[in-house]
Order: sequence, then structure tokens, then C-alpha cells
Amino acid sequence: MSKRFWFTMGLAAVAGVIAVGALGTPRSAPAQSPVYSVWLVESSRFMKVPFGAFMPDRAFVPGSTSPMNNINTVDLPVNVGVIKGGNDVILYDSGWKQQDYFKMTGTEHAAPLPDQLKQLGINAGDVTKIVIGHGHWDHAGQLMDFPNAVLYVQREELRGIEWALNYPNPKIAAVNTSPGGCARTPACGYPPKTLDEIYGKVLAGKAVIVDGEMEIAPGIKIHPAHRAHTAGSQLLEVPTTIGKLMFGSDAYSSWEGIRDWMIANPQQTDTVQQFIAYEKCYKVTGGYQNCVAAHEPLSYTDKYPLTKNAWVGLNGSRMAEIALAPGEKTRKP
Amino acid sequence: MDTVPTEVPEGAGAIHTEPARGAATRPRVKILLLCLVVIGLLGIVLLAASREVATSPANARTARPVLTPPRPPLTAAEEEYALALWPIHNEVKASALKMTLGGLSYKIGELDRAALKIRIEQSSATFRSAARRIAALDPPASLTRAHAMYGDAVRLYQQSGAEMLRVTDDGRVEHLVAAQPLSMEASETLLKVGDILWPSEYKPN
Repeated sequence: MSKRFWFTMGLAAVAGVIAVGALGTPRSAPAQSPVYSVWLVESSRFMKVPFGAFMPDRAFVPGSTSPMNNINTVDLPVNVGVIKGGNDVILYDSGWKQQDYFKMTGTEHAAPLPDQLKQLGINAGDVTKIVIGHGHWDHAGQLMDFPNAVLYVQREELRGIEWALNYPNPKIAAVNTSPGGCARTPACGYPPKTLDEIYGKVLAGKAVIVDGEMEIAPGIKIHPAHRAHTAGSQLLEVPTTIGKLMFGSDAYSSWEGIRDWMIANPQQTDTVQQFIAYEKCYKVTGGYQNCVAAHEPLSYTDKYPLTKNAWVGLNGSRMAEIALAPGEKTRKP
Repeated sequence: MDTVPTEVPEGAGAIHTEPARGAATRPRVKILLLCLVVIGLLGIVLLAASREVATSPANARTARPVLTPPRPPLTAAEEEYALALWPIHNEVKASALKMTLGGLSYKIGELDRAALKIRIEQSSATFRSAARRIAALDPPASLTRAHAMYGDAVRLYQQSGAEMLRVTDDGRVEHLVAAQPLSMEASETLLKVGDILWPSEYKPN
């Protein structure tokens, strides 16, 4: 036998030993990741919103028989996520509090979030963290009702408001777009009171200004979705027994929109960024079923399966039990 | 119409009437049982329906326990006042937001004292100007209270700004903490007046 033969055989043997060793070495088992219980709570419902104002691709066409365009108006829930596990009770968005002076024309089924949480057996004082998907009034209200909660807001969200207010063109800087209506200008979704509440959390040392991604509890991760609805929109990944969920606030206004790749609620939205936020849900959760939408009209029905385990709570508002961690008891009556 | 003979041959009665009575009883029992079954089924249907009414998510779409009664539209004079106040309101809100963001940015270290001072002074100047312009408005009698409330809100913002300004002298964050509730109260008042003058000021966002 030639030296080359024995050299080659030697190399093969070494490679074989390495390969067998590598295959035979037991991989370290992945650490048991925690799972959380999750509920969805309807803070209020905006009634009879023109479908086309919510989703341009679904604009009503009189006489149309297409299911895409034969619905005139929709009722939009304002959904809040409630996440419980370990030592944490986390809210994703905090809805808004209807007052006798702040009713929002066309709103029904509003209920104070602390009272709604009580129905789930959770006290307002038990809430440890609030992640706001963005700072608009209907998603970042009631913050002072949760005195122990630490607020998580993207720095980019605050900078976005600042940018809009200081923009030289008054049409863009306007906080009011027209008498009796404020919808499209970049700063109009932030009434001074909403920002005062965020500021109150900052002054109380109960706020974390987030730059991009952050893990706020084991397995619970904030993902930035800047400009997917507002400048500093952020998503929240939550591990559960039914897989990972991704909350999206108004970056995920419509679950059907995520499923069918159609934009929704494009107030200050960069539609490309909204699609990229949709893609994030597909990538993290493996599809669209576990994307949690803020205003999906089909919420709390069989047509949005994630939320179908639902019941009626205070003032006709609805709740859904999405997932239960092992040992957690159902809250459904 | 056919008639049924009713007469029974004599002597046959004892034999034939017994089975005849049993045959008549059996359909009654059957009918009774059928009724019971129907009632039972109806009960189940009613129970299911009542549970559905109580728990169905779909039902919530039609359940509207609190319906806000429509309010009367503004009169021409009220409308005129609302339109006159609107541009002032726009400036007040923007300045309030800038002032609040200034305090927030200072607290998180993104704004220094000098920049904060400029920010607050600019907002305060807007509040002063707004107060003058509001005082010059002549509200209809029905809006006198709303008019006064708005003026109070602007004064609260001014007080809040003055308190915040003190942090630029001594650097004590306590001034911001003392100023924030004043700003919050003013902001709440703006919503209260807005509910009267511009009830659809904020849209679903």
C-alpha cells in the first residue's frame, strides 16, 4: 500500500471519529421556555365605521356582490391584550377610558379596563407592565389607573410626535385637520392628556424608553415596527401553549388584512412597513393565525379563530380566552 | 259524509268492549308520551337558546345596552364661536404637547436645561397670546361656561409652564412633578370643552 493510501485512510478515520462524536454527543436540551396565559379584552367598540376608511381595499361599492366590496360599515373593537405568567401581569395596549366628557361619537360597549380585569380576577394594582403598541389615545389611555405598572414605549414614538409638531408646513404639523375632525395628520392621534399620562409614568420612574428590540420577561419580546402605523409602533411576541402569539396594535389593525395582505387603518402608516410587520408575525409565529389584531371586526367570533373562545362582559364588551398556561384556571363563565 | 254505526250486537259487548277500551287507551298513552317528548325537546331548545343569548359572541354585536342619545346640533351662534376658537385650540394643543414633550425629553436626558427653557418659554408665549384672543371672543350665552372653562385651562397650562421653568434654574425635578398635574387638568378640560364644541374631534386611530 502506498503512503498516500494510508494517509487518506487516516484522514477518513479521523473525520469518521469526529463525525460519530459530533452525532453521538447529546445536544444540550433547550431550556424549558415559559408559557403565558393570554386573554383579549374589548375596551370599547367604534360603531359603523365606513369599511373603506378602515381598509381601502374593502371600500363599499354600491350594488357590488363581491364579498370584498359589499360591506358598507363595520364595527371595530378596541382590543387590549392581557398576559399573565411568572410574577407578571402585562397589558399590551391599555385602551381608553370613556368619560362623560370624552365619549367618542359612535362608540359603544366601553368599560373601564380595571373593572374588566376584575372579571378576569386581576386587580389593577397587580399589573406590572404595560407595552403600548403606539401612543394614540385609544391605545395608551388609562395609564394612571395602573400605578404599579412600568410603561414600555419606543423612543421613536416620542420623536415622531416631536417631529410632526415642529414640521414647518402647518398642514403637516397640525394637531387638528379640520373643525370637528382629526384623523390623518401625524400628531393628531395624541390628545395632550394622553401624552400627559405617558409623561406622568416617566416622571414617576415607571417608564422604559425602548430602542428597538427588548425582552421584557422570559420569552416576551418587543419587536420594533416603526412606521407600520406610527413612527414608533412596536409588536409583542408572547409564548403560549398554542404557540407564539404576536400582538400588533394598529400595525395589525385587521387580522383579515394580515391574512390577505391588505393594509388597514393607514392613518400615519408607511404601508411597506406595515407589510414588513405582517411578515414578522408570519416568521415568528409560523403563519397568520396567531397574529393578534387591535381592531379586527371579526374579533370574538368563529371567523377569527384565535379569539373565538369568547363571552360578553361589562356593558356588552367582549372578552376572549386565547391560551392558558399549565395550572391556570379558565376565566370563561 | 259517511256515518259510523254505533250499535254493538247484543252479547258481544262483554267480549269486545274490553279490547276496545284497551285499544282506545293505548293511543292516549302514546299521545301523552309524545307530548312529554315534545315538551322535553322544547325545554332543551329553550335552554340552549337562553344560554346562547347569554354567551354568544355574535349576540354582542346587537347588544347595545348604552346608547348615547343624539345631541342637538350647535346653533348658528354656537357654531360661529366654535369656528373662532378652533385655530386657537389648534395652537394651544400643539403648545401643550410641545411643553409636555419638553419635560419628558429633559427627564430622559434628551434635552438640556437651556433647550427646555426655550421650549417652555415658546409654549408660554403661545398660551399668553391664546388667553388674549380667547378673552376677545364673545360666546353666546349657552357657551359662557365652556368659554370660561377654556380660559381656565389655558391659565393652568401657563401655571404649569411657570412651575416647569423653575427646573431650569435649580435643576430640581420636583418642579416637573408639581407641574404635571396642572397640565393634566388643563388637558382634561380641553377634552371637556371639545366634547361640547367638537364632539367628533378625535377619530378612531
